[in-house]
Amino acid sequence: MSQRIEVITVSEDGRAKVLEQNFARQGKKVSVRIVDTYTVEDDIKKQADLQALSKSFVNPVTQKLLSRGEEGDFDWAVEIGFLPGVTDNIGHTVSELAKLTLNDNQPVYSSQVIFLKGALSEDDVKKLSSGLYNPLIQRAAIKNADTYKKDGGMDAVVPKVKLDNKGIAVDDVDLNISDEDLAKIGKDGIENADGTRRGPLGMSLLYMQAVQNYFKKLGRRAKDIEIETLAQTWSEHCKHTIFASPIDEVKDGLYKHYIKRATQEIRNARGKDDICVSVFKDNSGGIVFDKDWLITDKVETHNSPSALDPFGGAITGIVGVNRDCVGFGRGAKPVLNRYGFCLADPHSNPEFYRGKGKVNKALSPATIMKGVIAGVNHGGNCSGIPTPQGFLYFDDRYAGKPLVFAGTVGLIPRQIGEHKGHEKKAQVGDLIVMVGGKVGRDGIHGATFSSVALDEGSPATAVQIGDPITQKKFSDAIVKDIRDLGLYNAITDNGAGGLSSSVGEMGGDTNGFHVELDKVPLKYPGMQPWEIWISESQERMTLAVPPKNIEKLQSLLAKRGSESWVIGTFTDSGKCHVTWHGDTVMEIDMEFLHDGLPETPLKTTFTRGGEKEPTIAEPSDYAQTLKNMLSRLNICSKEFVATQYDHNVQGSSVLGPLQGKGRVFAEATVSRPVLNNPRGVVLSQGLAPRYSDIDTYHMATAALDIAVRNAVAAGCPIEHLAILDNFCWCSSEEPERLGQLKRACEAIFNMSVVYKTPFISGKDSMFNDFKGYDGSDNPVKISIPPTLLVSGIGVVENVSQSVSIDPKAVGDSVYIIGETKDELGASEYYWMNGKLGNNVPETDAEINLGIYETITKVNKQNLIASALPVTLGGTGVTLAKKCIASGLGMDIKIETDLRLDTFLFSESTGRVVVTVAPNDINAFEKLFGDMANKIGTVVEKPALKINSFEVKIADLETAYKSPLKDF
Amino acid sequence: MAIKSLVLTGYGINSEEETSFAFEQAGFKSQIRHINDLAENPKELDDVQVLCVPGGFSYGDDTGSGNAFAQKMRLTLWDSLKKFIERDTLTIGICNGCQIVANLGLAPAIDKKYGERFVAVTHNLTARYQCRWVDVAVQETNSPWLAGIKKFHIPVAHGEGRFMMADETLKTLQDMKQIALRFVKPDGSPAKGEFPYSPNGSTDDIAGVTDPTGRILTLMPHPERGMFTWQRDDYAVLKDRARREGKTLPERADGLQLFENAAQYFGAANARKTA
Repeated sequence: MSQRIEVITVSEDGRAKVLEQNFARQGKKVSVRIVDTYTVEDDIKKQADLQALSKSFVNPVTQKLLSRGEEGDFDWAVEIGFLPGVTDNIGHTVSELAKLTLNDNQPVYSSQVIFLKGALSEDDVKKLSSGLYNPLIQRAAIKNADTYKKDGGMDAVVPKVKLDNKGIAVDDVDLNISDEDLAKIGKDGIENADGTRRGPLGMSLLYMQAVQNYFKKLGRRAKDIEIETLAQTWSEHCKHTIFASPIDEVKDGLYKHYIKRATQEIRNARGKDDICVSVFKDNSGGIVFDKDWLITDKVETHNSPSALDPFGGAITGIVGVNRDCVGFGRGAKPVLNRYGFCLADPHSNPEFYRGKGKVNKALSPATIMKGVIAGVNHGGNCSGIPTPQGFLYFDDRYAGKPLVFAGTVGLIPRQIGEHKGHEKKAQVGDLIVMVGGKVGRDGIHGATFSSVALDEGSPATAVQIGDPITQKKFSDAIVKDIRDLGLYNAITDNGAGGLSSSVGEMGGDTNGFHVELDKVPLKYPGMQPWEIWISESQERMTLAVPPKNIEKLQSLLAKRGSESWVIGTFTDSGKCHVTWHGDTVMEIDMEFLHDGLPETPLKTTFTRGGEKEPTIAEPSDYAQTLKNMLSRLNICSKEFVATQYDHNVQGSSVLGPLQGKGRVFAEATVSRPVLNNPRGVVLSQGLAPRYSDIDTYHMATAALDIAVRNAVAAGCPIEHLAILDNFCWCSSEEPERLGQLKRACEAIFNMSVVYKTPFISGKDSMFNDFKGYDGSDNPVKISIPPTLLVSGIGVVENVSQSVSIDPKAVGDSVYIIGETKDELGASEYYWMNGKLGNNVPETDAEINLGIYETITKVNKQNLIASALPVTLGGTGVTLAKKCIASGLGMDIKIETDLRLDTFLFSESTGRVVVTVAPNDINAFEKLFGDMANKIGTVVEKPALKINSFEVKIADLETAYKSPLKDF
Repeated sequence: MAIKSLVLTGYGINSEEETSFAFEQAGFKSQIRHINDLAENPKELDDVQVLCVPGGFSYGDDTGSGNAFAQKMRLTLWDSLKKFIERDTLTIGICNGCQIVANLGLAPAIDKKYGERFVAVTHNLTARYQCRWVDVAVQETNSPWLAGIKKFHIPVAHGEGRFMMADETLKTLQDMKQIALRFVKPDGSPAKGEFPYSPNGSTDDIAGVTDPTGRILTLMPHPERGMFTWQRDDYAVLKDRARREGKTLPERADGLQLFENAAQYFGAANARKTA
């Protein structure tokens, strides 16, 4: 019989307090108590057993096992638990503890009962609880006190997946059908016997015809698993077809022509000073750290899943990219995480639905923001990887599709035994070993939202939740224990496409593989072979292990609490060969799998956006205008995110996310990942999505310039700086959008070859559009502004050369390096005034390079006391942030031909505001010459004075810190 | 003879490397041990002087921070642990290690009742993870870990760091001088629960407690993340000041002394190596 084990907190509970505050903000005075609940299917009969086990989840100082009648006074009880098949980490832990304590080997299901006391109607309770759970993955049950008492508590719910092994089969699919029917399979999926479809394959008619021809040539019918595999392997997600396809006159495609070629040209030009070691061919890119170590970097996006389940989407984003680090070369150790979120204003509450007739409401911007922040929090913190650097950017066009960026930096020895750290190759005869978690229906066709209601017993497949501890266990075992023993020949991540993708890729080393699908361990019975093969269940990696090492490898993993399974062998048969209980269910040529997809030539058009340069009145009250600018969402403090991400773990933090005693949110950070080595890793990011509304060329140059400038200003020498690109685009089937894309690619090629900052890794996400209905049931399409995130990673030879943003001493001189132009187009200032304008900042790479080389030079002598690049919001905002950071005032005199507001808020690139100590002025001015202009002095008085207006720092600080203080 | 420290790891503990590094800086021969390896060969404890349970997220903090890992230690290592602490050894729990040591009942262990839980280290009053630098004052204590230290500027990083206990427990801990560390404001005055000086709302501003002997210390702040000046949140300011004054910036920061104290307790004075 099932049993609920309930633990009530009897002392004051911080979690309950925060819920009370949260409800109070919604206008309800409620007192809250929380009961943590663990449900087992077979009850623990002996009281002594229960007592022994409960030691691991009841703290007798503050908690006790709840008996009926001890709930205290309450009016309503709300229980929130998981739906069947959703990863339940707490349940999993208690299950492990039960096994350890009682040798009781059964699953445990966690849930939480929230007792509410207050004057609430049933509707009130429904409304309050709707903010506490996500119906896609969780269930909520509500009872009033009377019912609760009458029933003797909440009902015991065992959310077990109920599938049976009946009907497991591999179906033949007849492809000798009309083009129309072929297209239908590509669009809606393979047809089941009952006429329903299995879900979109995302294959165009052209692709389906290639598949049709292939099987015609083979002279047999295709199996469902073969078609599913081809769809996965050929997907935009895996093959990046838009970046690979011929586009206009660019026959080799955008990726090869602009991105890869830029890196190649830079590497050639650099010669022996080349910093690249492994670029574009592995799960991350790797550059030189010093003579003994490489650092690696990868930034991923996880946008679609985050729109549906923000927490799950973001946590799988961060733990997923962690695996791209562990999957680099022979296995890099994750040493830094970074993040970025593009979101709609969390104070807004637009009404959008995915379905007609007000069904499937899109989550509110605040819910999405809180969820994605919490997801990276849990994933990063639990994994023990510091997360110092990141950003939040707001534009209401991210309401339907938020962008979630997650990146991981790794550290790996250049030489491991007889191998280079970055080299790996599966060998013929190696066993295919899956490590980590078991396989469920997670993420199957997951990116496509299914509007079919999830009924009891059906696993939630659309989204996945990460289990960072399972991953931490095998990641530590591999990187800290096993890697250096040389027990495996290759390792890779199981990400998109699951086994089909990881085994498919590694099989390229040997030209073939044989997988016995029935050897793959399942979370629950009843999965179809094709589902097992493409499932995206998290926390798995694939290793190629020589048979002689398998016993040792598996026993080492077991000792670290990690599971592993041998599921097949790498061969040189030239075939992807998959069997199910001995029967062949897939046998296609490796060559066709990887290179069989037809080229789809693309055509583009381009029209510059923007409007006439507007005339706006000069501010009558500059002090107020500056405060308003500081309160803009894209400028204000994001401290609440920085403090909830552990940025100090591993002891490596040098310059963190909050700098100066005024704790200003920094755009670059410095870390020292090898504790006994003074070298530092500098991380930065840059983006300017709004510039796309005028010209994506300048959006892209600005993004790249900001990333480079942020890193250089923080102390990174420009000659030891690499960059990563993440394109998040929209409507990429439209020639106009493709035209914008092509321009952006041209732009970053042109910029990067001048800066000689090579691209080492990248990722794209091409269809960030929301299609649905508004509150009046009218169809709407919301497309994100074309967004390019450029991430910088560089190495400074000694962290003593790092430069923070806060001015250090009264009497220091304030300089602005670089030229301020009349470039308010698409700026925060125009945006605040409801304008777009036309004069978007244009970047002169040659001039900026001169500046960055000089900054690099002076930083070796510590001539700059503080530095902050001028980015969103312009010089006025930069000066204000510097004052807030230090608590020291500034006396600034701007002499310019521009109107003062143009000078203060123009977003011209290439500029940095620095402070310089009196003793260093001569040396500084000599090196910079005309590139730097002195504009003022650091003063004791806590106020920022610019020409004739003055604002107290305390007021600037309030403006800067209030907008997001309630989150 | 080399003095030895053993730093535990496994199941989501994550600060073992830098903590072990700190012990080495202080002159220890330090080894990192997975709990399953130690459980298999608990005799290893007979050969070490210091046991450290470092920070991390053991079992993902599921069922309350430190609870699950404490249960694992209780079931697999309890007898060896008792033997270890009965010898003249030192034990420290840092952050997640603090939660584990408290749940295991190794500290405060009033009246040497080892194994009994007297305090809970539970959800911050903000109900949110807090990663920030704080100031902590050393109280009147017999703990060798804290000999000669008055104050630490030191980071915390936890979601559950709030010490809670019955009133009589608090009184006993006060009377027996087992409250070793309290959060204070930068000027040294009591934090009185005020955020962010007290990052978690801990009872009586408690940041760390000891067992009655003082040899077992359990604390929420991270001394290993504040052992070098370059790790400090005000590093850029200190670096700039030293340069202007023509001075060399001291390499060491507050946290290192704690590890050196442990070395000194075993007579290894000035054993510190330079980084």
